[in-house]
Amino acid sequence: MPRSRFGGSSLLKHSVSTETSRIAENRPRRSAYADILVLRLFAITWRNLWRNRRRTWLTVGGIAFAVWMIIFSRSMQEGTFDTMIDSGARLMTGHVQIQHHAYESDPRVDNTLLTSELIEIARVQPGVESVSARAQGFALVSQGDRSFGAQIVGIEPEIEREWSGMVSFVSQGRYLQQPGEVLIGATLARNLGLAAGDEMLVLGTAKRGGIAALALSVVGVFDSHQPEFNRAVVFGHIADFRDAWGMDEDEAHALVLIAQTVADGERIHARLEASVDGSDVNALGWQDLMPEAEQMRNMKTVSSEIMFVVIAIIITFSVVNTFMMVIFERTAEFGMLQAIGMKLRTIQWQLQMEAFCISLLGIAIGFVVAYGMIAALADSGVPIPVPEEAMAMYARMNVGDRLYPEFDWGALRTGGLVLLVGVQLAALIPTLRLRRMRPVDALRHEA
Amino acid sequence: MSLKLIWQLSFRNILRHRRRNLMLFLAIAIAVTGVTGMNTLIRGMQYDMLDSAVENLTGHIKLHAPEYRDDPNINKGFPMADNFTPPVDAGEVMGWAARIRIPAVIMSERETRGIQIVGVDPNDEYISFLGDVPIEGEGLTDASDGRILIGKELADQLETKIGRRIVIVTQGIDGANREKGYRIVGTYDAEGTGLEKIYAFTGLANLQGLLDSDYVTEVSIRLKSEPQTPSMKDSLVRAFQDLAVLDWQELEPQAAAMFVFADGAIYIWFLLMMTTLIFGLVNTLITSVMERVRELGMVRALGMSKRMVLIQVVVESTLIMAIGVAFGLAGGYLFYLSIADGLDLSAWAEGMESVGMSSVMVPVLHWADFFLVAYLSLIFGVIASLYPAWRAVRIQPLEALRK
Repeated sequence: MPRSRFGGSSLLKHSVSTETSRIAENRPRRSAYADILVLRLFAITWRNLWRNRRRTWLTVGGIAFAVWMIIFSRSMQEGTFDTMIDSGARLMTGHVQIQHHAYESDPRVDNTLLTSELIEIARVQPGVESVSARAQGFALVSQGDRSFGAQIVGIEPEIEREWSGMVSFVSQGRYLQQPGEVLIGATLARNLGLAAGDEMLVLGTAKRGGIAALALSVVGVFDSHQPEFNRAVVFGHIADFRDAWGMDEDEAHALVLIAQTVADGERIHARLEASVDGSDVNALGWQDLMPEAEQMRNMKTVSSEIMFVVIAIIITFSVVNTFMMVIFERTAEFGMLQAIGMKLRTIQWQLQMEAFCISLLGIAIGFVVAYGMIAALADSGVPIPVPEEAMAMYARMNVGDRLYPEFDWGALRTGGLVLLVGVQLAALIPTLRLRRMRPVDALRHEA
Repeated sequence: MSLKLIWQLSFRNILRHRRRNLMLFLAIAIAVTGVTGMNTLIRGMQYDMLDSAVENLTGHIKLHAPEYRDDPNINKGFPMADNFTPPVDAGEVMGWAARIRIPAVIMSERETRGIQIVGVDPNDEYISFLGDVPIEGEGLTDASDGRILIGKELADQLETKIGRRIVIVTQGIDGANREKGYRIVGTYDAEGTGLEKIYAFTGLANLQGLLDSDYVTEVSIRLKSEPQTPSMKDSLVRAFQDLAVLDWQELEPQAAAMFVFADGAIYIWFLLMMTTLIFGLVNTLITSVMERVRELGMVRALGMSKRMVLIQVVVESTLIMAIGVAFGLAGGYLFYLSIADGLDLSAWAEGMESVGMSSVMVPVLHWADFFLVAYLSLIFGVIASLYPAWRAVRIQPLEALRK
């Protein structure tokens, strides 16, 4: 409870008696003077805020919490998606692929591209970590009298082993090293009754309809947590594939690019897309290579936006409430100000300034706390508090057992802006009522 | 000092500041509407996921030979007794189906793919997605049907179409490969392409003929209501000692994990909304206490005990919360009614279908969730009133009266 409304402040007295009456009388003033007036108004604002510290802090606290929550939840989400996309890319697809223009819609063996020139173009892109060629196709893999269908991916193991997530998923034996070897999924190994060291036959349709046949020795088995990979993907050496499928030394189905970060990958994709425009090859970004991840990201974004809207409305209402209380308490004061000649509009400006200071403070605190927390957690990550059975799903979505938040400036921008506007409106609405106020009645008002 | 008096005081205090409290009610109501509305959507997703998981040839409970899951092969099947029926209360069972499901290679003139060939009796398959999936061309007619029904996506990949022939290669009971030509009777268009790429259906008896076996590899049982699963499973485990009895959580661990997550999401949502709200609530309550310092000093001087002052503030806060929550629950219910036909999210459908949800989100109303939100909100109301109540109790009658 403020003890005295105009108690003891020479600045306040001075401000009220001179500056405001000057405005009221509409005297012309120099611009330098206007600057001082704004400063004075600000000083009054600041004092008014701390007349009722508890209320100010509670209002600021509400805004700060909302800002913190919006930034933090979005940053966690962004960080998770980034990890998901990055590990997805490093497990299988790469961040960017260059393919024959028809290969994406019609992945047939004949749709190949010539690599040497493209590799040179791709390699010089800033942010590129690695470029390698792949040749791939569907084939029948068999052992004894058992056979299953599988995707054969011919890779350059000496390059891919540097970044491939598969290296760490090898559960038996080792990763590929040279031609003649093959790495197969755990489910396929079980279905075929194969283990590291066994022989396996591959039978497929080569280029121009010929028959591709290969005998390879299984050097390793991988368990990638992705049932479809475990069931039906086989990695071999690209040289074997080119041989058996009747492709030239320079031919491949895809160039796989690994970028340093997902954002680098997006930039590289944009540049490559522009530079190969009009030729017979396509540059595909992670959105094309992993459409489900892209859709899931959009879906999550929608649900978090619904949350922001509801939060913003709650905050706005509680600020409306706060300002109604402010006005109720200070009715007598406003009556006095009007009586001595302050214009209603100036009073409203004054309150708008108070609201502005409150939201700035709240946003600043929310930002600082969120920024600090995210900076502290960015390296160590947040352990996922989920039950055992859910870990399999996280692994399947290419997320490890920790989430790494990444500060989302977009959330600060959008969240901050929405709250700023909401708070200004919320402070304006109760002041509209002041128009009906008559100074004489207001002066008599008891808070 | 009677409870009635406390109620009266609280009511009057709220009525004294109608406009201010109206704002508070609105804020609470919007928060509660947001939470309950979102809950119906989360529940909708949850049950949709469960349904897809169960319809995905899983059922609530499944019987397998113990080795089948490691080695899905016809020789890891089991014979079915004639006139088999699941030895459980028929009133709880929606239906059951026996199938053969084994890996196979499918070849058209142009392409080759790895799939699962599923032998079914189409008349029993009302329990799975096959019962209501849109089919182009014809469906299978009975268990002896010797034609094949494949997914639309698979047909595109194989560059084949209805009426054409494809060849299936799979392993017979003796471990040797069987090869047979089938005519495509129709294509099915499931939600998403995941199922379409994997499953091809033919008649169960016909497939048994090809494999030279009278085995089936699985019996899938769908119950009328999910909560019956554990008790059903128990009685099936007792009845089939030599078979593996698995429920949908074990068969679809991903869906089960999402199911658990959805439960958690409901609490997180609630917590975030209520925490935001509580700042405003505390603010209002403090103001209302501070405005009444003289009045509270007076009633204390007249003999109201500290405890009664405390109770009065807590009751006032809880009352504000209760009124706001009542509006909010009504709002949540209206929200539910307004989207009860389903919310079309086809713009984001691909991602949803990939995680086992359909593109039209149908909300599911659980009265238990409404109840949960209501009583947790009241608890929050009490928590919010503690500090203001403490301030009210600390008022010294003499000092207060002098103000």
